[in-house]
Amino acid sequence: MLDFFLAALTPLNLLLALAGVAAGTIIGSVPGLTATMAVAVLVPLTFGMPPESALILLGAIYTGAIYGGAYAAILLNTPGTPSAIGTTFDGYPMAKRGDGDLAVTIACLSSLVGGIVGACALLLLAPPLAEAALAFGPVEYFWLAIFGLSLIAALSTRDFLKGLIGAAFGILIAMVGISETSAEVRFTFGSNTLLGGIETVSALIGLYCVPVLIELAATSGRHLKEDTGGTRGFRLPEAFSTLMRHKLNVIRSSVIGTLVGALPGAGGSIAGLVAYSEARRTDRRAPAYGQGNPGGIVATESANNATVGGGFIPTLVLGIPGTPPDAVILGALLVQGVRTGPTLFADGSSIVYTFIFGLFLATLLMLPVGLLIGRFAYRSIVRAPKAGLVPVVAFMTIIGSFAIRNSLSDVGIMLALGVVGWVANRRGFSVSPIVLGLILGRIAEEGFVQSWTIGDAMGNVWGQFFGRPLSLVIIALTLLSFVYPFLPALTRALRRRGTALPAPSDKREPADPAAILRDLAGIGVMAAIAGVALWQCAGLNPEAAVFPRTIATGMLVLCGLAALETLLTRRVVEDRSYGSTGRRAGVVLSMAAGIALAPVLGFATAGIAMALGLMLSSEHNNRSLRGWGLLALSVAAVITVFTIGFREALSVPLPGGLIF
Amino acid sequence: MTKFTLYAAAGAIAAALFAAPASAGDFPPGQVEYIIPFGPGGESDITARLQQPYFEKLYGEQMIVSYKPGGGGAVGWSQLNGMAADGSVIMGVNLPHTIIKPLQGNVGFETDDIVNAYIFHYTPDAIVVRADSPYQSLDDLIAAAKESPRKITFSGSGKGTANHLVSVRFDELAGIETTYVSFKGTGAAVTAMLGGQVSAEWGYTTVGGGQGDKVRMLAVAMEERHPAFPDVPTFRELGYDIVSGAYRGVAVPKDTPEETRQAVSDAIAAINADPEFRQKMIDGGFALIDVPYGPEMDAWMKARAEEYIPAARAAGVID
Repeated sequence: MLDFFLAALTPLNLLLALAGVAAGTIIGSVPGLTATMAVAVLVPLTFGMPPESALILLGAIYTGAIYGGAYAAILLNTPGTPSAIGTTFDGYPMAKRGDGDLAVTIACLSSLVGGIVGACALLLLAPPLAEAALAFGPVEYFWLAIFGLSLIAALSTRDFLKGLIGAAFGILIAMVGISETSAEVRFTFGSNTLLGGIETVSALIGLYCVPVLIELAATSGRHLKEDTGGTRGFRLPEAFSTLMRHKLNVIRSSVIGTLVGALPGAGGSIAGLVAYSEARRTDRRAPAYGQGNPGGIVATESANNATVGGGFIPTLVLGIPGTPPDAVILGALLVQGVRTGPTLFADGSSIVYTFIFGLFLATLLMLPVGLLIGRFAYRSIVRAPKAGLVPVVAFMTIIGSFAIRNSLSDVGIMLALGVVGWVANRRGFSVSPIVLGLILGRIAEEGFVQSWTIGDAMGNVWGQFFGRPLSLVIIALTLLSFVYPFLPALTRALRRRGTALPAPSDKREPADPAAILRDLAGIGVMAAIAGVALWQCAGLNPEAAVFPRTIATGMLVLCGLAALETLLTRRVVEDRSYGSTGRRAGVVLSMAAGIALAPVLGFATAGIAMALGLMLSSEHNNRSLRGWGLLALSVAAVITVFTIGFREALSVPLPGGLIF
Repeated sequence: MTKFTLYAAAGAIAAALFAAPASAGDFPPGQVEYIIPFGPGGESDITARLQQPYFEKLYGEQMIVSYKPGGGGAVGWSQLNGMAADGSVIMGVNLPHTIIKPLQGNVGFETDDIVNAYIFHYTPDAIVVRADSPYQSLDDLIAAAKESPRKITFSGSGKGTANHLVSVRFDELAGIETTYVSFKGTGAAVTAMLGGQVSAEWGYTTVGGGQGDKVRMLAVAMEERHPAFPDVPTFRELGYDIVSGAYRGVAVPKDTPEETRQAVSDAIAAINADPEFRQKMIDGGFALIDVPYGPEMDAWMKARAEEYIPAARAAGVID
């Protein structure tokens, strides 16, 4: 064992691990550059290396990228990589109230613990865990997706019905394009652009980030509250004591992350969501989850980094990738001539152990690297003037959603969904349930159709869905999770022996007729979407239609209930923050113009043109001519550096257009 | 002074050398982008990665693999003809996808829109079961299927794919009725088989390559036995006339000049001829074939269409 450890510690490997973690962290922090991409881009670099070093470098990049996703999640409310979705729930509220630095440090420490737990499992338990993961069949994946969806109840405490409607909407968006299980073309309305479906990561960026940009420009307040006591360093002691208070949470979430990571195909986003859901269910500390409880960050960040080690379990033992980045690494291994499979472990092959120790090393290196880069990211974002922050972040969302599959239409869809998300938010439909539907909808559908087919062949559909012990456990957890937000009301009702309905906790005045009309209009649009989906389902084969039809029908019923609720209670959940409409429109129009101009002018030039529009939309202070010039120059410089970096370092074929 | 002239002369020679390959019609015109219309990690990606170093060895130019996933390849193929037609862009093609997809509805491209430059390998269809499965041979499986129609379940990668079409064809030839369960990709189909969620898998020989003695292949759909699995019979040996699989190659945009199309074809042929490359592919469970650009490709594509389209119709994936 010791010699493997020493083999991992050669100066070259140390250097590779350090460089990998740093590169991964930076790539992962850019919205749109996912861990999968980070690994895929750098695979060719490893061809000339010995297999051990190649694996260490790729593992380090992967580890760093998963952690790096937390920065954008916390500081911009946009998951840098899908694994960090859950980090936005509490991270951004913490940053808003001035605890962004603390949140980043907590994320770093939690990722460290998660990474170590995952790597330990890989070292000690890989073969048995890989076997156990195989017990997970289509039904279990279906129920796991439903379990993830149970978070809707938690994320839409303002209006549960609207949360459910939003999730159904998200699921329907996920069904657009060619269906994987039935090969049918669905909901494209004849458009070739929609054929490939809505790209999940572009959709995430649009839904989360664009509303933030729009609101940033509209109001004069600062993006994040400044830290009050000057520079407070990394706030390490505070973060450490938070972690100690959440020690059960961090261990449980790391274990969940390892286990979910070991399930082939599930991945970091689900691991994070499941861990978040569990943390929330078992923890009653204030502030509530979703409103800036550090426990939320602890849960997702430890879970998603645990999936790194966990995901390598089926990858190395079974040759079946546990997470999407593992698929890339598996390919790289095959090119290297390394045969994965049980024998890889059984033979005590040095490569596996050197790699695992390399993973430990990378995880440990994440502490200094992550803290330093995190501190830098935090400071730049807190101190940046709005008129600089908005255009740079907007450019990052555009270049990031382009890079996923080198497609400008994905960028257009990103912006369109961003506007949809902004409007939906104003009407009381939170974005997070929509995103949950978008991510989990496909997994739920696949599991559902496969289980149905198998159950039907066996003549036992009910037994297939409800007769398997593992499924029953997940179903029980799901029920608990759904019921939990209503527990206080339920216990109150039970104490009164169920004689009266619980009094509504917030006694708001009945809304005025205009607000009620606005609310009904919002619900009506959702109902119309469900109606269109139902109408479209009529032309599909049964296999392709069954899932969207069920969801759309449910959505219609929910819309009916929501409309009824509004009419009866005369209470309306909506956001009516005040700010400049012109500036809001300016953000959307500038971004649209930037996207349209990119193939004509070239990516960087169009980006700079867009940035000028965004600067004008988002500047609230008087700025001298010299100030404007300096700001414009620095924004242009950042955009140029990003463009060159994407073109040269990441080989992304950005449209060059006329100029650059 | 002499030093300067020396440098100048060297510079001129170097310039002439570098300028020469850039003249019209030569391949490659610089670095070549190899677009895989699927996500990373799949068999199209792996085989492209295997080709990558040999291309660099041949030409001293980089071949960069990039991805354009979506719509089971349709997103990439529908955009192919709008890309640079000077040999700097090549794209992976997969059969039966490029034949079946356009017949399923408007997917943004037609089979004939794609200029196939070379088909270089295929993953032969194979029936795979777990090592501890009660089915020792293909006959065992057929007997079980005859006893309880529909109850034998097969996992497979996708609908309208090689796996799906061969399952329909085999059922017909063997006079049995089984249930095909579509999974997203080979990885998920293997997982379901290994986990006992289904009775067997319609997979590829690559599954045998990756899983070793954890699985047993009952038959492979090749003309002759696969060199890496000499003990596994072919379907033909067992009396079922099936030779099929997922074929992969590269295509170029349709505006690409004739000599560049030929040059791309020659480049892939040269890589395919490298013994080291061949061995790596065979070890992975792939089977090599050589269908170059030109009349041979046209005839080959026609034969594949005649084979796939009736099977797809029988499978109910096209009308």
